[in-house]
Parts: sequence; structure tokens; C-alpha cells
Amino acid sequence: MKAVGARVPRYDGVAHVTGHTQFVDDLRIPGALTVKAYRSPVHNARLTNLDTSRAEAMKGVHVITWKDVPLLEYGHLSALGIPADEPLLAKDEVRYLGQPIAIVAAPTEEAAMAAVDVITADFEELPALFDVRKAFDAGAPQIHVEGNWYRHFENEMDRRQIRKGNVEEAFDQADLIVQGVYRPAAIEHAPIETQVCQVVPEANGRLTIYSCTQALYFSMGVVAAHLQLPLNKLKVVGGTVGGGFGGKVDTATETMCALLAQKSGKPVRWRWTREEEFLCSSTRAPWHMEIADAVTKDGWILGRKMLTLHDSGAYSRFSPYGLTKHSFHHTGAYSIPNLEFDGYVVYTNRTPTTAMRGFGVTSVSFATETHMSRIALELGIDPYELRLKNANRIGDTSPNQIVYTDPSTVPTILAIADAVGHELTPEYRAMTPGQRTGDLLPEHLVGQLADPEAH
Amino acid sequence: MNLTVNGVESTIESGPLTSLLDVLRDELGVTSPKAGCEQGGCGACTVIVDGEPRRSCLTPVASVDGASVTTVEGLGSPEDMAPIQQAFTHHYAAQCGFCTSGMMMAAQAYIDRGGSDDPEAIQEALGGHVCRCTGYVKIIDAVGAAARGDSFDMTVTAAGTAMTNLGGVV
Amino acid sequence: MASEVLVPSSPAEAVELFGDGAGTTVVGGGTVVVPEMSYGRLHPARVLLLTRAGLAGITTAGTTVTIGATTSVGALIELEGHVAALAACARNVADYEVRGQATVGGNLCGHGDLQGCLLALDATARSTGAGGVRTEPLEEFLANRGGRLLLDVTFELPAASAFVVLDYPHTHEYTVLAVTGVRTAGGDTRLAATGVAGAGARLRSAEALASDPDAAAAAAASDVTFVDDALASAWYREQTLPVLVRRVLNQLEESA
Repeated sequence: MKAVGARVPRYDGVAHVTGHTQFVDDLRIPGALTVKAYRSPVHNARLTNLDTSRAEAMKGVHVITWKDVPLLEYGHLSALGIPADEPLLAKDEVRYLGQPIAIVAAPTEEAAMAAVDVITADFEELPALFDVRKAFDAGAPQIHVEGNWYRHFENEMDRRQIRKGNVEEAFDQADLIVQGVYRPAAIEHAPIETQVCQVVPEANGRLTIYSCTQALYFSMGVVAAHLQLPLNKLKVVGGTVGGGFGGKVDTATETMCALLAQKSGKPVRWRWTREEEFLCSSTRAPWHMEIADAVTKDGWILGRKMLTLHDSGAYSRFSPYGLTKHSFHHTGAYSIPNLEFDGYVVYTNRTPTTAMRGFGVTSVSFATETHMSRIALELGIDPYELRLKNANRIGDTSPNQIVYTDPSTVPTILAIADAVGHELTPEYRAMTPGQRTGDLLPEHLVGQLADPEAH
Repeated sequence: MNLTVNGVESTIESGPLTSLLDVLRDELGVTSPKAGCEQGGCGACTVIVDGEPRRSCLTPVASVDGASVTTVEGLGSPEDMAPIQQAFTHHYAAQCGFCTSGMMMAAQAYIDRGGSDDPEAIQEALGGHVCRCTGYVKIIDAVGAAARGDSFDMTVTAAGTAMTNLGGVV
Repeated sequence: MASEVLVPSSPAEAVELFGDGAGTTVVGGGTVVVPEMSYGRLHPARVLLLTRAGLAGITTAGTTVTIGATTSVGALIELEGHVAALAACARNVADYEVRGQATVGGNLCGHGDLQGCLLALDATARSTGAGGVRTEPLEEFLANRGGRLLLDVTFELPAASAFVVLDYPHTHEYTVLAVTGVRTAGGDTRLAATGVAGAGARLRSAEALASDPDAAAAAAASDVTFVDDALASAWYREQTLPVLVRRVLNQLEESA
């Protein structure tokens, strides 16, 4: 393993600095049509009287709508049991501003924009929901066919639920309950390269898809499913991504371009504008998290009650998966033995949200760490000491009963204290991630221990 | 209309209001300048026009009729890289590479007009360039190294960073 | 539907081709018009491209400075030794590349970052349009600029000038709020703000109290209407305007 620890130049570094790296839009395909989208101008509406005839009558213009899609709804993560709920192109309703309704391909960008301009539809606007907290109200607008939150966790549960130990007892025993509400906002990935795709219909009947996807085989599967094509009819060329950060896993363009390439018999190219990227591309989700911790005067965290509302936007996409990861990590780097966690994937009329670096977990890391600081403040305890004593150690278990065999919390916090010059007492300076004993093993942590060797 | 791009003169067929970016990429096949925003806000389209760095996405080609344009392809090739290209490689200043062309052209122009290795001056010069991958530190290192006239070991990347006060910089 | 593109090669030709401006889109540096076209929002029928119209340049005759309308915003930085505020104001616009391309005229008639500064300098504007070429105070030009093509602006060199702006982290934000102060050769003080509702505004109530920075700061709000926009609220601008006025007056005092 010669590369480990070595300062190796990027294998594509020279290509990047000499203009040789070929991003999707750098590929010049003669005769490629330009693609543009007709998108919903409203947040929530019934869609009727979609009329693309004027666009279709224009010279060299091809248009696709929901009618052209062999399998209209395909769940991004149906392999993980998350059912399909999102049409590739809107049919009877639109649920987010910017939702694609019709896609056109034309000989020039100007012609494509002109074609989009002559597509019309009627929108019977409905009340929109943007606040996840209101999703549960009796009179709330119903966003999703199944109501306002996802209902297909295992055993058809409508939430991610974690129960561990006895949280009511922990709250009874606490010296203090510390509460906090944490609401990180959506974040737009904003890669410098916008979503882009080119599809070429080959003479042998296959489609070659040049994609900026971060998830090539995944996207290939999604395209094959929507088009009802065997995988061997697709050739996906990818791997050169101008920044993704999680935002290029949604297969946002490939399927529609593939359909247009089939329909027109010509290569097509779709490069999103920066405005589309900001307005219509998926973002990191906003989250609403409420934490209540049962704590003792000397800084032990006996138990945690937590509610998470994960804003999935108009459709599920990857949100149930993100929430699942979030739930497993909801105590962060600390061992809290008594837990009551409930997390919901909530639908709103936002653009559907997606993965972004640390999907599902950055939200709860932020909330947990901020909450630890809040606890330290309320107890008047050194925030490093609070973290060190509650830190995950070998033999501690996670919220979902996974035993830690090599947690790095303690060495990390000690290194931070060193780096910022924070003085620690000898007792805390000497702490290790080794199994809890003595003062570091109070009664309330005994029950959650497990055998790290048995892992 | 005519343009001399990286030393090669061409007659331009595109309409007069076509952006220089589209002329370079679509008509001339010079694809190093990128369409990051087409609003002049990200810097990925930056090229050097008659010695000055310009946003090619904002420039109607008729306004640069007869001009001399330099892009990354004109700086150097893999076999013979310009100092700024070597600096970006050695200092790991490119990750995805999409902002890199614009960054280097702005950096080259900055150095050409006598820019120093002062990080604040470099930031001022490249202030209109956005990078979503690197966090900018290594880009500033690379530009400073090229401005200083460092020589570069291309078999290894630079350790650490030359910047000493990151708290106040970004 | 291609546009008719006219490229005048002299100021006289520009005036002639502009005529009364009907149906004509003027392109200075392109920083405003080209993105609108790229995004399909503008399909100009007739374009007057001013790159070669000979309208760029800064000329000084004694104490009188004239700035051609297609002078780049970046070129104003050359005036640093003579009109510090104008150089500082220009430096605050966008970044090096955009400044090198954006024009004084395009900025004055568009996003307006330069308006307050040139109003404080009591600049006059020479323009053409229906009725021909005329010169008027910049304030009047800005209020009635529909159908006019700006040719140049002229002002007298001040004895001192100061420019204070709300610092924003992103290079490309338009001016949220800025105040320019000018002390004329004759000893008068002029103040103007950018980033309030509409065009930049002279702060005449504040000017009248210029010898008392606190009083002037308090009075400035009565000269302007504040606006909510994506960058800042009217409330925020109202809180910060007095601070900027005070700072500008203090800087002018220090340079006395």
C-alpha cells in the first residue's frame, strides 16, 4: 500500500490543469439537440389541459410528457423497500415549484426555449405546506397521496422509532432536564458544474448516456426501469463530475434525455442553467429536531427523548434512508443508555430533498454537539469534561445496540483540547477509549454494555 | 469577425451577440472555459482577452472582434506545463477541476500584472471565483507559489499550507 | 430572429444611431444584457454595441474631470489619488474581471453602485435622446433617463472625499448601503447614499448639519426611503445609515 501516507498527485491533476479533462458538456456531439424543460410555476396544484401541440408543431422539436414514459413511477430506492411515489414527469398534479411537466428537444437553445414558451396547462392551485411542524395538524393540506408523512418503515411503521432502556425512569432520576430545538436549513449543493447529460441513440439500438451522475450504476438502473429496457441496452459513460456532494445521485436528467433520444432518433444534450440548479435541483433537507436530555448535576446524561421531523420535500426519494441513518446516530459520539427516539419523514411542497455529505447524520451531529454545549452551560461544567465522561468507549453500545469496538471520541476530544490549548485536569487528560470501569461506569451505564469481542 | 485564440486566428461565424464563451466552446471547440452560471458570478468562464482577464460568458463576441484570447490550452500542455499549471498540480489546488480553468487564467493575469504571493492580494484578485470543492486554501498556495517563481516537484504534492492566519482569511 | 447589431465607431455615430432610443437596447460591457439573453429573457431587436464608440476615457482639464460613459468601472480606481471615494466605490463593485468589463454608464443606469458617489460629487450628466444632446445634473438625469443614452459625466475635483459601505462577505453583492461624503474646494460638504429605494440619494438634511456628525447622522433618514430586498431589510438599512454617515463625516474631518 505505497499510496497510504504518501503525498500522491491526483491521477487526473494534469488533465484538470491543461484543459484535457472532459466533462459531460465538453463532449461535442454533432447534431445534438438542446433540451429544455417546461416546469411547474406553482407549489401545489391540480394539473389539467396540458397542451404541447404548438411546441410539437415547431420544426425539429420533440416533446415528451408523462404519456411517453413506459414506467412513470419508479422508486429511487425501491430495492431498499421504499415504494415509488414520484412520476418522472407530472401527470395530474404538481407538488413543487419547478417540477418538470414536459421536456423538449430542439435544434438550438433558442428554439428549445421558444418551444417551452408555447406549452400551456391549467393549474388549479391548492394550499401549500412548507412548515414540517404543521404537517400533523388536522386541517393541514394533504401533500402526498398517503398523507403528510412516510408510512413504510419496517412493519409499515409511520416513523423510525428507537427505544432503549427505560427513559421514563431516567427522567425521574434526573437532576435537570435540558431541552433544545435545532432547525438546520436546507443547503444547496451548488456544484460549479450544473446537472448535465448527453444521450446518443446508437445504430445498434442501444443508448449511450454521458452523465455527470455520482452514482453511475444506480442511475443506469433507474433509466432502465423507467424505460423498461434491459440493462444491456444502456451504456453509461461517467465518472467525471464537476462537483456533486450528493446532489448528483437523483438521476435528474438521464431518463428524460434517454426518452428524447429514443423519440427523436438524435443525440440530445441537457445542461441545466444556474437558475434551474438553484430553483429546481434537490437540496440537503431542512430538519427539525427536539431534544430533551435527563442529566445529573455531575454531568452524566441518563436518557434522551428526541423527535425529528425530516423535510423530504414533495416526494420520498432517499429520505427514509437518510432518516434511518440519522436515528442510529442520534446520540452522536456519546453513550446515552435510555432512549426514546421518534423520527418522521415529512412531505412538504418543497423541491424533494436528497443526500449531501454526511446524509442524515450531519444534522444530528450538529444538534447533539450543540446540545452537549448547552448542557455544559446549564450545569456549569467544563464542556470538554462533559463530553469526555459520556464519550463512547469500547463495550458501549449505540442507539440500535451496535457495540463499539474502537471508538475515537476520547482521543479526538483530547487532541482538540491540545490544539486549542484548553487545560484539562490530570484525571481527564489520562482518559482513554478503554472499557468503562470504576468512576467511569456509573450504575446507569451498566445495562447498555456489550462484549466487543462478540461483535 | 475574427478572433485569435491561443495564437490561432479564426473567422467567427456565430452571431455578434453570441457570448465569447459559446463561441469558444461551441464554434471553436475550445472547452476549457466552463459554463458555471452564465451570469458572471462564478468565474469558471474566465479567459484572458488582450492581456486582461474577462468573463467570457458576459462578453458579446462582437465586442472582442480582432482580439487575442488566451485560454488554458494556450498556457501549456501536459508535456510542457506553465508554472501556474505546475503549481496547481503540485499544491493540489484542483479537486473536481471545474473551476480550475477560470482560476488559473485569473491567476496568470494577476501574475502577469506583477501580483505577489501575498494571500490577501491573491484573494482580492480572485475574489470573483467560486470553488465548491477545495476551500480555496490550496488555490491561494498555488497562486502564491507561482507568483514567487517556485520550482515544483511534480511527483509529489505539497505538504500543509503556507497560510498562517486561516481564521481571518476565509 | 436575430438582432440587428450596430457598432458605432465614434461618439457622433453613436448619437446618430441611438436617435431617440426607440426599440434600441444599449450594450456597454455586456455584463447586464448578455446574461439576460443567455437566459432567454431578452430578445433585443436592435442593439447598439458601444465597445468602439470612443466613449471611454477619463480626461482632466484643470480641476474638471470628465468620465466617458463606457469607461470601465475598474478604470475609476486610477483616480485614487484625486477622488479617493470614487476609487473606493469602484473597488467595491464586483471583482477585478467584472470591473474591467462593466461600464460607468451601465452601472449608473442599472445596478447603481456608483450613483451615490457621483451624486455626492454633484456630477453633471451629458446624454442624448429625443431632442438631442443635453447636459443636466446627474440627479435629474437619473430621474428621467428613459430613452436617454449617457455620454459622459463631469464633476469638479473635491478637496477631500470619503466612502463607507456595509461590508458584505460575497464579492458580487450589489451595494446594500453606502454613503459618500465630499468636501468641495469651497469648503461645502455633500453627502449621498446608495442602496436606498430608487436611485442613489443626496442627503441634504444631513449636509445642513454636517458640522455635527451625530445630528447629521440622525437627520439622514429623512432624506431617503428605505427598501426591503433580498440583500437586506429596510429596517437594517435604517439602523446602519446613521452609522455610515457618522463615519464618513469623521473621515472627512480627519482628512482636513
